[in-house]
Amino acid sequence: MIFTLRKEKEREYTHHDAAVIGAGPAGLTAAIYLGRAKIDTVIFEKIAPGGLIASTDWIENYPGFPDGTSGEKLSELMEDQAIRFGARIEAIEIIGVDLNSDPIEIKTNGGAYTAYAIIIASGTSPRRLNVPGEEELIGKGISFCATCDAPFFEGEDIIVVGAGNSGIQESLYLSKFAKSIKVVEFLDHPTAEKILLDRIKEFDKIELLLYHEVKRFLGEGKLTGVEVEDRESKKKKVIDVKGAFIYVGLVPNTGFLNDAVDMDPEGFIKTGPKLSTSKEGAFAAGDVRTTSLRQVATAIGDGALAAHGVREYLEER
Amino acid sequence: MGLIREEDKKYLREEFSKGLIKDVELLYFADKNDQSDYNLAMKTLLLELVELDDHLTLTVKDCSDKEEREAEGLELCPAIKVKSARKGFVNFYGIPAGYEFSSLVEDIIDMGSDKLALPDDVIEEISEIDYPIDLKVFITAACPYCPRAVRTAHLFSMVNENIRGSMVDANGFPELSMKFMVSSVPHIVVNDRSSFVGALPPKEFLAKVKEGILIK
Repeated sequence: MIFTLRKEKEREYTHHDAAVIGAGPAGLTAAIYLGRAKIDTVIFEKIAPGGLIASTDWIENYPGFPDGTSGEKLSELMEDQAIRFGARIEAIEIIGVDLNSDPIEIKTNGGAYTAYAIIIASGTSPRRLNVPGEEELIGKGISFCATCDAPFFEGEDIIVVGAGNSGIQESLYLSKFAKSIKVVEFLDHPTAEKILLDRIKEFDKIELLLYHEVKRFLGEGKLTGVEVEDRESKKKKVIDVKGAFIYVGLVPNTGFLNDAVDMDPEGFIKTGPKLSTSKEGAFAAGDVRTTSLRQVATAIGDGALAAHGVREYLEER
Repeated sequence: MGLIREEDKKYLREEFSKGLIKDVELLYFADKNDQSDYNLAMKTLLLELVELDDHLTLTVKDCSDKEEREAEGLELCPAIKVKSARKGFVNFYGIPAGYEFSSLVEDIIDMGSDKLALPDDVIEEISEIDYPIDLKVFITAACPYCPRAVRTAHLFSMVNENIRGSMVDANGFPELSMKFMVSSVPHIVVNDRSSFVGALPPKEFLAKVKEGILIK
């Protein structure tokens, strides 16, 4: 049995040299580098240190853990390392940021803060399918968090939507609970890593349903089925399930920015050299920025690079 | 080896030493005949916690003492109630394991101090509530979003005694989870009548609670 201790601090003072928004792998790495550079830094985290990896069952492509590690454990280790170098994590939600003021003003649900430089490492949230029935049945059979909700589907038939790395990895976890899992993929091929695809072949209860589109979720008050369409034949069918886990991509957590920095058409933050954004003093790191790969390993690199950018920026100020 | 990591004990000693100014009693109701690992873990966890600061004490009671349990307002067993001179119905049905351990620690510090991390407008709105509200927050230990909902319910009860906030370990109480159709957490049940899902900010959480109260 694990007992995970969050180590957030209460607000003591409101001006810092640097502020990091988000305590996922990118934000915590930035905090480690800024801490070691002795730059007074605050980190804001609204849910729990670790970001999306905190709800990831198992991570095995991050170096240093030859047998893999749980997302919960990796989050805790990263948090401990950041705290060791003086990181100050505050459990607070960012409401808005004024990037035109100097110092930058950060509005939170616990009052205003200022900082000379910020690193936006606010990460992403699971993308929704936006099909009929989804909104009404979230929490009533539809879930975005397998580690949170898998035990409720013990012995049940379920679907997982999306055959990318997240969908397949979480299907493997869900197979410990569910009776059967159909993984519905929009494309005609799964996009997960080959090693994960090889692994699911060992599980008879996991079946891939390629080139199918989820059209709607069915059920009154609780999920009873999912209507899918074969994209080739255009034939529709209903799969009777009590659970649906959705892994169809990510949307950036940038609402609090109010379009203050340049973003790509999907809302991810555009970055330049040393991960600077279009606004002076603002940097972006991790999944929230435009990038071709969103992994723990890439977020770590981003965090280090953005911290380096902040350090140089503060020295030149 | 104990349940709480040695480095976490060191951290907790410092936090309790800085934060606690009032005595806090952890009231633990358990079935005295329950020799399960679950029950043993709960008791061990609490024993390890109270050893970390002189302000903390543990009182163990038997679930079969219905009168006493009812006097404490506890419907289920096992339960941990965090008590101090400060008002508040801060309660855990089942073990606060995984991410929920932090909820217990933060509740202890809040109940042992005058801290209250809620926005002023929310405090004002909660203070005006003059009817009973029972909030059961169903969680699973691996849910990183759940402590936010548990803590919000507990903080509400520290503002207004008309509000009772309980964490419920969904896996520890499967029948109750089924009764309230819990299939995603955090799942918040309002007055055993209505429910909503999600770790919402305090203001939105309060709005959902009030909305739930109106459902007959």
